[in-house]
Amino acid sequence: MSIPGFGTDSNDPVTSTAIINIPHKSEWRIEIPFKTTLDFTVTSGVAEIFGTELPLNVHIHLSGVKCAIYAPIEDVSISYHLIDNIGELSSEDNEFSEYISTESCMDNYLNLHLAIEQKRQSCTDHNILNPGELIMGPRVLVLGGDACGKTSLCKILSGYAVKMDSCPVLVNLNPRDGVFALPGSISATPVSDSFDLETSGGYGFTTTSGSLAHNPKQPIVKNFGFSSIRENLDLYKYQISQLGITVLSRLEQDLSVRNGGVIIDTPSLDIKDFSVIENIVSDFQVNILVVIGNEKLSIDLGKKFKHKSNLDIVKVPGSPGVVDVNESFIRRVQEQTIKEYFNGTNKTRLSPFKTDIDLHDLVIYKPVVTRDLMSSLSFLPKYYAILEEPSSSNLDNSIIAITQLPQTNKSPRDLLNSSVLGYVHVSKFDDDKKKLKVLLPFPGVFPRNVLIATNIGYNE
Amino acid sequence: MSDILESYQQTLSELTFNSRPIIETLTTIAKENPTVADGIIDLITQRIRRAIPQHKLFALYLLDSICKTVGNPYNILVGYDVYNLFIDVWKVVDEATRTRLVALFETWKISKVRGGGESLFPRDQLDKVEGFLKKVGKLTSAPTQSQSQKSQSGPVLSNSKLISDINQLIPIFEAKLKRTNDSKLNDKFRALNQLKIILTNQQMKPQELQAVQNQLNAIKEQELSPAPPSLPPIPPKPVIHQQHQQQQQQPPQPLQPIVNASQIFNDLILSGLVKKEQEPIPGSKPNYTLVFPTIKYVPKTEIPGVDVLADILNPNSNIQRSEYQKLKFGELVQISKAISGDDNSLQKFINTNKPSHSSVQLLYNSKASKCSICGKRFSTDQEGSTKKRLHLDWHFRINKKLTGTGSGATGTGGGVVSNVQSRSWYLDDYDWANFKDEQLLEFATPEVAQTATINSNIPSGVVPYVVVPSADTNMNNKCLICLEQVKASYNDEIGEWCWMGCIKSPNDSKNLRKIVHITCFNDRKRATDTEDGNTRKRGKLA
Repeated sequence: MSIPGFGTDSNDPVTSTAIINIPHKSEWRIEIPFKTTLDFTVTSGVAEIFGTELPLNVHIHLSGVKCAIYAPIEDVSISYHLIDNIGELSSEDNEFSEYISTESCMDNYLNLHLAIEQKRQSCTDHNILNPGELIMGPRVLVLGGDACGKTSLCKILSGYAVKMDSCPVLVNLNPRDGVFALPGSISATPVSDSFDLETSGGYGFTTTSGSLAHNPKQPIVKNFGFSSIRENLDLYKYQISQLGITVLSRLEQDLSVRNGGVIIDTPSLDIKDFSVIENIVSDFQVNILVVIGNEKLSIDLGKKFKHKSNLDIVKVPGSPGVVDVNESFIRRVQEQTIKEYFNGTNKTRLSPFKTDIDLHDLVIYKPVVTRDLMSSLSFLPKYYAILEEPSSSNLDNSIIAITQLPQTNKSPRDLLNSSVLGYVHVSKFDDDKKKLKVLLPFPGVFPRNVLIATNIGYNE
Repeated sequence: MSDILESYQQTLSELTFNSRPIIETLTTIAKENPTVADGIIDLITQRIRRAIPQHKLFALYLLDSICKTVGNPYNILVGYDVYNLFIDVWKVVDEATRTRLVALFETWKISKVRGGGESLFPRDQLDKVEGFLKKVGKLTSAPTQSQSQKSQSGPVLSNSKLISDINQLIPIFEAKLKRTNDSKLNDKFRALNQLKIILTNQQMKPQELQAVQNQLNAIKEQELSPAPPSLPPIPPKPVIHQQHQQQQQQPPQPLQPIVNASQIFNDLILSGLVKKEQEPIPGSKPNYTLVFPTIKYVPKTEIPGVDVLADILNPNSNIQRSEYQKLKFGELVQISKAISGDDNSLQKFINTNKPSHSSVQLLYNSKASKCSICGKRFSTDQEGSTKKRLHLDWHFRINKKLTGTGSGATGTGGGVVSNVQSRSWYLDDYDWANFKDEQLLEFATPEVAQTATINSNIPSGVVPYVVVPSADTNMNNKCLICLEQVKASYNDEIGEWCWMGCIKSPNDSKNLRKIVHITCFNDRKRATDTEDGNTRKRGKLA
C-alpha cells in the first residue's frame, strides 16, 4: 500500500521552489489535493496554522489539506514547492490552489480566546485560594452551519490555550471526523501540547508503544458507528451523555484540566436540532455558547436558553476563507485517518498486526439505523442490535470497534456505557470457514471483548 | 558565512548550561566538517570571549570535547591561543568555576591527540598555564618561587611591619611630588598617609593586613620601577579604591565622603558599568574601563495606578507566579475589566476589541525563547529555561531513538527499524478520568539512563561506569560506601563523561548521582549475603 509520499523518493517530480510573502495580519489560504504534497518552510517571521505556531526553517509537509497560514504579528515569508505523490491513482480533479487574503476574523477569534483565557485565569486563582470549593474552567460549545469554520475555531482556541499554559479538553462531537480516533466515533482529548500538523486532520498521534517526535495525546473514545448523526439520533445523544459524564469526572480528578475547561466541536446543527444542543449544554455544563456566522441561530438560541442565567451566548463572524468540502474529499480524509490509525505516517511508521480469527468466538453488535426501525416493531432495541448474519457482504472492508466490555458481560446497558478500546479492520470474511482476516493496531492476542460493527468502510 | 557555520553559531548560542547533548552535537558537526574547521574554531573562541561569565565554561568544555574527540586540525588551530583563552575565562569566573577550570587543565596535561602520541596542546602553552596556576596558588604540586607565596610564608604580618613599609614609600612619593605636580600622585600620597594613621590607631585582622600588604607591594613595584616617565598612565582610582576598602571595614570612618565615592565606584563595578580587569594574582594592577550599556534604561512612564493597587488589594496577589504568569495575569485583569460591564459587554468585546500589542505577545514574544526544532515557545524566566532544557534533552533523546544512532555512529541505514512501534489501545473511562497528561510530556521524569547496570556479575575486563547525568554540571562525585572522591573522565567509546569503575547505588537508583565503586559494592554484597545466611540459619534453629 502506498502512503502519499513525502518526497523521500528523489525521483519525485518536484516543481521549482517559490517564495511567498504573507503580510502582517493576512493569511495564505491553500488547498492541497491528495495527489500533491506541499513542502514548505517558514523562512522568516512568526506563522501559524489554526493557532499552532510553525517552527522556523523546518520543512513541513502537507497533503490533502485545506487550511490557512496566518501571520499574527509580523510579515512572514515562506518558501515552498510541490511534490506529486507517486502512486496516487485517484481521479481527483482538484488542483493545488493558493491565494493571500487580508480579510480575516483572527482578531475576533483572539478576543474570544482572551475572554475564555481570562475565565480560566480567574478559575485557576479561585481554585488555589479555595481548595475546599473547586470550580471548573469555561466550557465552550461551538455551533454553526455546514462549513463555517467550527473545527478551525476549536483548533485555534485549543492551540492558543496551550500557548498560554492552559490544558483544555477538546471534545469532538462530529462523528464524520475522527479526532484522535476514527470516523464514526465521538471523542474527548485533553490538549496538553500543540497539535501535530502533519498528521491526517492536523491533530496528531495518540499513544504508541514507542517514541514519537511529537508528544502524543490520550483520548477517550465513544463509538457511534455512523458518519452522520441523523442515522440514529437517540444513540448519538446517549453517547454524548456518556462522554459528558466521563469528561466531567476527568475534570473532577485533574486540576490542570479542570482549570482549562472544555472546548466542544460539533457537526452542523441548527435550531431544529435544539434537543441535541440542549443535551450537549446540560451534559457538559456548557457556560459559553459560540455561534459562528449565523445571526439567526444565535438569537433563536438566546430565546430558548433565556432561563439559563449562567450561559453566555456570543456570535463570531465566520471566516471568509472557509471552503466547501465535497463528499469525496471528506471520504479521502476519513480513509487517510484510518490508514494512519494502523500504519502511521511516512515520518512515523506504525506496525499493525494481521491475523485470522474465528467468528464463533466473537460477539458482534451493530448500531441500529433509526430509519429501519420505523418500519419494524417498536420493541426492538433502539441503540445496538446483535449482528444476526455475519457475512462477507456486511463485514468485508469494514471497521469494527472493540469495546472495553468483556464478552462474558451480556448486559446491553453495560455495552452502551462502554467506550472504545481500539479498532480492527476486516479485510476479508471467509463465509465457508467462518474466519475473519483482520488488521489489529497492536500485536498480540485478539481482545476477547464485545465488538461493534460500524458503518465505516475502508479498503486497504 | 556558510550554512553550517550559521547553524553552528545558532546552536552555540544555546549553550547556556552544561548540556551534554548540545556539546555532543556540536562536536559531531565539527568532526564531520573539518573543511570549515577554522570557521568553527573562530566561532567557539569568539563565544568563549564574548559569552557572559557564567556561560564561558561550557563553551570551553565544547572546545575541550572537540579537541579531545576530533583532534587534528582543531587542537592545532586553537593551540597557540589556549593560554589566552584559559586566562580570559579565569579572570571573570567565580571560585567554583575556577576549580573546574583547574580540573579541566589537569586533563589537558595528560591527554594525547587521538591516534598520536603528541600532547593535546603545544607544550609551551600548557607550561604557561601551569605556571600561572602555580602563581595563583591553585597548583601546589611543585614548590613555587612566586612573590605571593613568599610573602605568605614570610614573617607574620603586623601593623608595625606595614607602617614601616609605608614609611619607606612616603619619601619616594614626596620626592616624586616635588618633581611633578601630578594630582593622581597626590591622591595616592594622601591615601598612603591615611592608611598609616589607621594602621597606627587600630588593630587589624590578618586577612586585612595581607590585603594591605599586597596593595603596598603593588605600589612599591610601580613606584620603584626604574623608568618613571615611560610608565603607562595608571588610573588612580584602583589603588585608592582598594585602600579605602580596607578603611571601610573600620568602625569609625575618618573619611566619610571618599568612602561614599568608593562605595559608588564599587556599585558601578557591580552594576557592570565599569569593567574591572585584573590579573587574578593578588596584588596585580586592576584596569578599569567604562562599559556603555547596550540596552537603554527606560523608566516606566506609567504611574503605579489602579492595576497595581488592584493587584495589591486582590487576594490573588498572594499567589506565586512566574514572570510569564505575572504578565499574563496583568493582561487578563485588563480584559476582565473590559468584559465585566453591562449584559452585552462580552459580545461587544469580541466584536470591537483591538487586541493590544501586549496581549497578542502573550502568545508569542512574551515567551521569547522558541525551540528551533518544533517551534514550541518558552519564557526566559527560571521556569521557562528549565523547561526548555528538558525540552531540548527530550528532542535529543527522541532523535537518537528515532534515527537509531548510538553516539558516534552517523549512519542512517538502520533508521526506523530500531523504533518499531504500534498504536496502543485506548483507555477505559475509569483509567482516562484518572490519567494525568504530564505522563505524555517531555517534562516527565526521564527514564533512568540504561547504560548503567546493577549487575554485580560483570565479567572481568569490562569496566562498569555511570554516565554523568546530562543535567549535571558537577563532575565530581564520591562513592557512597568508601566515600572516596570519584572524578568523571571522558569515555571516548560512548562519547560521554563517566564515573569509571562505578555503578549506580542499587538502593537508590532514581537518584542519578548516587554511585558506588563496583568493588565496594561487591564487598558489601558478599558481607551482607553471609550475614543474611547466618541470620536465616539462626532463625531456623530458633
